[in-house]
Amino acid sequence: MWTIAKKELKTYFLSPIGYIFIGIFLLMCSIFFYLDVVQYGSTNFEYMFYSAATVLTFIVPILTMRMFAEERKTGTEQLLFTSPRSITSIVCGKLLGAAMIILITEAFTAIYYIILTCFGTPHITTALITLLGYFLLAMTYISFGMFASSLTENQIIAGVITIAFFIVTWFMPNFIEATLDFSFINVFSNTFPTGSVTLSSLVLLISTPILFTILTILVLQRKKSVK
Amino acid sequence: MIEVKNVTKKYGSFTAVDNISFTVKDGEVIGFLGPNGAGKSTTMNMITGFIEPSEGTIMINGNDISKKAKKAKRQIGYMPENVPLYSELTVKEFVKYMTELKRMPRKQRKEDIEKVLKETGLEEVQNKLIRNLSRGYKQRVSLAGALVGNPEVLILDEPTVGLDPKQIIEIRNLIKELGKNHTVILSTHILPEVSQICERVIIINKGKIVAIDTPEHLEEKTKEENVLLLTVEDKEEHMGNIKEKLPKLKEIKMIKDNEDGTKQYMITSNADVDLRKDLFDILPKQNITIFELKKAEATLEDAFIRLINAKEEIEKASESIQNKKQDKEEKKKEKEAKKQEKKKQKEENKKERGEK
Repeated sequence: MWTIAKKELKTYFLSPIGYIFIGIFLLMCSIFFYLDVVQYGSTNFEYMFYSAATVLTFIVPILTMRMFAEERKTGTEQLLFTSPRSITSIVCGKLLGAAMIILITEAFTAIYYIILTCFGTPHITTALITLLGYFLLAMTYISFGMFASSLTENQIIAGVITIAFFIVTWFMPNFIEATLDFSFINVFSNTFPTGSVTLSSLVLLISTPILFTILTILVLQRKKSVK
Repeated sequence: MIEVKNVTKKYGSFTAVDNISFTVKDGEVIGFLGPNGAGKSTTMNMITGFIEPSEGTIMINGNDISKKAKKAKRQIGYMPENVPLYSELTVKEFVKYMTELKRMPRKQRKEDIEKVLKETGLEEVQNKLIRNLSRGYKQRVSLAGALVGNPEVLILDEPTVGLDPKQIIEIRNLIKELGKNHTVILSTHILPEVSQICERVIIINKGKIVAIDTPEHLEEKTKEENVLLLTVEDKEEHMGNIKEKLPKLKEIKMIKDNEDGTKQYMITSNADVDLRKDLFDILPKQNITIFELKKAEATLEDAFIRLINAKEEIEKASESIQNKKQDKEEKKKEKEAKKQEKKKQKEENKKERGEK
């Protein structure tokens, strides 16, 4: 698993993908930091994450669309799946690689926190809870993106499916109220940035990544006998 | 040892590989031969565990590839068709990644990387990006990836496609070397390659095994007929009568009409008949001058084409017989239908007359 995660991380930074992801994220975060925090003269670090959560919708596909689609297109999946590694460890390795990118990105947001400490005393526990929530939200999105990537050999299609799914789960509660608890962004913004964690939000944001990881494994195993 | 037992692969209603079985002994170099789309790559993908057979079992040194996948896969080095590589890595990085993927002990990795790079002649380019390498070098990198961890079984899917003649010879020699202490299965559609490298050949066509034998045996099998190539100058055009004068001659065919007035003929006879003496006796008497007379050598190519065509002809024949049967049945039915229609018409006519 580590071997594959390491290779994934390396690939992200050998191609521009890793830099583009972190770059766009930090650019947007800086704008939101100014608009949502600085302009109000607030020391609430977590405020900018309300908006930053929506950015994930558009940048997570950059990370995930190539995961399996590219390997299938170039044929390198033959090297991967004929190596003495189980499909589970390959899938988990890829997920871990992307998770590390998220952690790196989150580490960069410490800059904003440090800036705030110059002007006041921001609440550290709320900030950490927000970062945890943001990480879980990102993992939910990544696991779905990975699942979409395992379905096709066309990266663009994988990316479009992913964005479509995110937008649907984002706006769905506006039309069907019953789905309010399944809108990942709403679940995130209603709990974590307020400094509180609810059991239901934790369950949703942990079980969804697990669900899509299992689905990815199933898809890849099925492909083995259909291919 | 590789044991393939009753393996079938179906894609929907299409059968890519149809109930094939064979065994490859330790240290044997075996060639997989067949036209495009015969099922070579599918079979190899099944042996390496990349795809699962619809039916049948594949054992690598006693380990079932689908049940004890990890153990079995560790013993295989696979060089897939079209050399898929991570083009963003350097050669050395790629080989290193392969050692990690194959779960080599950390201590042995460095040594093994150097050994593999040396064996495949990649030391000079080891720090170049794979993206920037030529096709020949990419092929070698792919082979290096297969050799990592010194696996007992090597599976090479078309290892010499797209190489220049010099590189082909180099790769062939390398495979020959590897064959001394590895079990090798290689697929190709270049025939001389097989007779040079392989100890045994599996000829496969339309998903079925047509023949398993040594290249020498296959060549001998085609020697059922004696083929002579004859170039003559025949100003009075007596060649047409030759067949009458030589009753043992089976067939004579003109293959070339040269510009200098000579003509080349192909003469076939049964294997136990040598017509050369008779030709030298009879032709000069007909005022035909012999320019050249030689025996055509039986090659693996002939064997291959004959085996594959033979199968196809049998299939076509059986198909056409079936078609004819169907046609006859249909015609019968049509006739009966017409008869009945006529009867009906007659009866109707009678009724009409009666009414009148």
